[in-house]
Amino acid sequence: MYVDLKMRATINQKLTEMGERERLKELLRAKLTECGWKDQMKAHCKEVIKEKGLEHVTVEDLVVEITPKGRALVPDSVKKELLQRIRMFLAQHAT
Amino acid sequence: FTAILIILKPMSVLRQADVACRGNQPIPVQYPKERSGLPDSTGSATTMGPTGCPHVHTYKVDNWKQNLRVIYQCFVWSGSAETRKRKAKSCACHMCGSHLSRLHSCLHCVYFACFSKKHIHDHAKSKRHSLAIDLLYGGIYCFGCQDYIYDKDIEQIAKEEQRKAWKMKAGERFLTWEPNKRELELLRHNPKRRRITSNCTIGLRGLINLGNTCFMNCIVQALTHTPLLRDFFLSDRHKCEMQSNSCLVCEMSQLFQEFYSGHRSPHIPFRLLHLVWTHARHLAGYEQQDAHEFLIAALDVLHKHCKDDNGKKANNPNHCNCIIDQIFTGGLQSDVTCQVCLGVSTTIDPFWDISLDLPGSSTPFWPLSPGGDGSALNGETHTSSSGATTLTDCLRRFTRPEHLGSGAKIKCSGCHSYQESTKQLTMKKLPIVACFHLKRFEHSAKLRRKITTYVSFPLELDMTPFMASSKESRMNGQYQQTTDPFNNDNKYSLFAVVNHQGTLESGHYTTFIRQHKDQWFKCDDAIITKATIKDVLDSEGYLLFYHKQFLEYE
Repeated sequence: MYVDLKMRATINQKLTEMGERERLKELLRAKLTECGWKDQMKAHCKEVIKEKGLEHVTVEDLVVEITPKGRALVPDSVKKELLQRIRMFLAQHAT
Repeated sequence: FTAILIILKPMSVLRQADVACRGNQPIPVQYPKERSGLPDSTGSATTMGPTGCPHVHTYKVDNWKQNLRVIYQCFVWSGSAETRKRKAKSCACHMCGSHLSRLHSCLHCVYFACFSKKHIHDHAKSKRHSLAIDLLYGGIYCFGCQDYIYDKDIEQIAKEEQRKAWKMKAGERFLTWEPNKRELELLRHNPKRRRITSNCTIGLRGLINLGNTCFMNCIVQALTHTPLLRDFFLSDRHKCEMQSNSCLVCEMSQLFQEFYSGHRSPHIPFRLLHLVWTHARHLAGYEQQDAHEFLIAALDVLHKHCKDDNGKKANNPNHCNCIIDQIFTGGLQSDVTCQVCLGVSTTIDPFWDISLDLPGSSTPFWPLSPGGDGSALNGETHTSSSGATTLTDCLRRFTRPEHLGSGAKIKCSGCHSYQESTKQLTMKKLPIVACFHLKRFEHSAKLRRKITTYVSFPLELDMTPFMASSKESRMNGQYQQTTDPFNNDNKYSLFAVVNHQGTLESGHYTTFIRQHKDQWFKCDDAIITKATIKDVLDSEGYLLFYHKQFLEYE
C-alpha cells in the first residue's frame, strides 16, 4: 500500500502529539532486548570497533556499518506487533 | 583472594566515563589530537579530558545552560502534552520537510535539519555553526570534530532533563547501569574478568552425595538455576542480621558463590546439610527423604531467615516482601458456592507449589468435569483416558468445580443453614516461579506405592485458563476466551525437572536443569551430563519448575 509523504508526516505528528510514539519506542526497545537483537547489535558494534580501531572509529562509522544488518535482523513477530499497535492506535484516533 | 564481580546489566560502549576492556587491562577512551581541528590549550595533552571537544567552549557562553534545557524539554524529551504538540508540529527538516531522517537541531540558532541527507551539515558549513543536537537521543554532534562528543556539563543537563521528562510519564523506565564509586574501586582492585559466552556453562557444578542426600542435592540444583534467585544472591542482596552462624540464607549465598566460582570439582554441601538438620528436624537422619518435602522445608526456613533482614517482623505472614515470597509465593483462590442460594464464599491462601493428583491413584481422575478448556491453548489435543495424561489435564482437574457431597455440607451464611455446595480452586496470583508437584507417592491407609503414570508436560505453559479472572469471564458468559496474543503475564517456561527413579523404599533423585535458552543438563549428584530437550520431556517428572517468561514492574 502506497503511503505518501504527507500521510506519513501526519501519522508521525499524531503519534508524537499523543505520546504514543514514546510508548511504541519503549515497547520496541523491550521487544528487541528480549529477543536478543540488542546483544547481537552490540557484538557487531564491538567487531566494527576492533576493525576500525578504537582511536579512529566514529559514531557515523558504526551507524553506516550496523544499520543494514540491524534492519534485516528485526524479527517478523516484532514488526507484526508494532504494526498492529500502530493500526489499533490509528483506528482509535481516526479523524 | 580474587573477587569476581559478575556484571548483570549492560554498559553502553562509547560513553566517555566508561572503561574499555582490552584483554585484562582497562583503558580510558581517548580522542586523538589530530581530529580536534583546533590546537589544544595545554599544547601537549592527547586526551580530550572530561570537557569534551574544544569547539564546545565557544558554545558555553551567556545563558547556554538554560537554552540547552529548553531544547531538551521541547524537542528531545517532550514530557508534557504541550511540548509534544509543539514537537510534532515544528520538528521537520527546514530543507526537505522530512520528519524521520535523524533530525538534528542546530545549537546556535533555530534550525532543524536531517542528518541522513546531510542537510544539517550544509547548514553548519554555511553558517559556521559547529554544534547540533540529535532529536532522537539527545547526543551532541560537533562538525569540527566530525563525531558525537561527550561533554561532562552537557551530559549532566541531558540526564536531568531526561529524568524530568520520564517523571511526567507514568511507569518505570529501564535505566542503563552505571557503576558507583565503590563499584569502580572494586573493579580496579580486582582486574580478573570472567566472560560469559553463549556456550559457557558457569553455574554448573556437581554435588557429593553424603548418604542418601540426593533428595537435597536435586533441589539445590533447581534453586541454583532459578534466575531471579541467582541474581539476588550474586548481587549480594542478603544483609544478615542473625547473631548465630546458623542463617540458611547466608549458607545459600555461599552456595551460589561456590556454584559460580568456576570450580569444576563437585561441591560437598556438608554445612548445608547440617543447617537443614538443625532447622528442619523431621528431615534429619540418613534415610531417604522426599525431595518435595525438602523443597517446602527449605523455602520455609529461608523465608523465616529472610524476614529477619527485612526489618519487618512477622506481623502479617502474608505480607512479607522477602525474596522467597517475591519469587515463589502465589495466591490460590478457593470459591465455595452454596447450591441453594448460589452465594459464594471466597478465600485466598498463599502457596509455594501446586500438588496435582495423578490417574492411577485411589482417587478417580477421569472424567474431568466441564468448565474451562486449557488443552487447546497449550498445544495439546483433548485427550480421553486412552491418550497420555498431560500437565494441563492435571491442572484442569485441579481447578474443576467439585461437588462436596451430602456428607459434607457447609454452613451457608446466606441461607443460615447447612447446605450442599461446590468448591473450586483457581489461581488468583501467579508466582514468578511455579512449582508443580506430581503426587506420585501414595500413602493411604491401605497401601504405600509409587504411581509411575507418564504425564507429559510442555516446555512452555500458559496458565491463563486456570486463573480466577478467566473463571469469572467464563461465568459471565464469555465462553469464547479471546486470548490476547500480546498479554504475556501468564506464560511460563520450563527450567528444571526433578525426577525420581526406583520404588518408594529405595529410589534416587536427579534433576534436569536449563542454561541459556535451550541447553539442558542432567544433574545426578556429582555427575553432570549434557541432555537433550527430548530427554527432559520424555522423563517421568516429579517436580516441575516453570519460570514466568515476562516480568512486569509492579
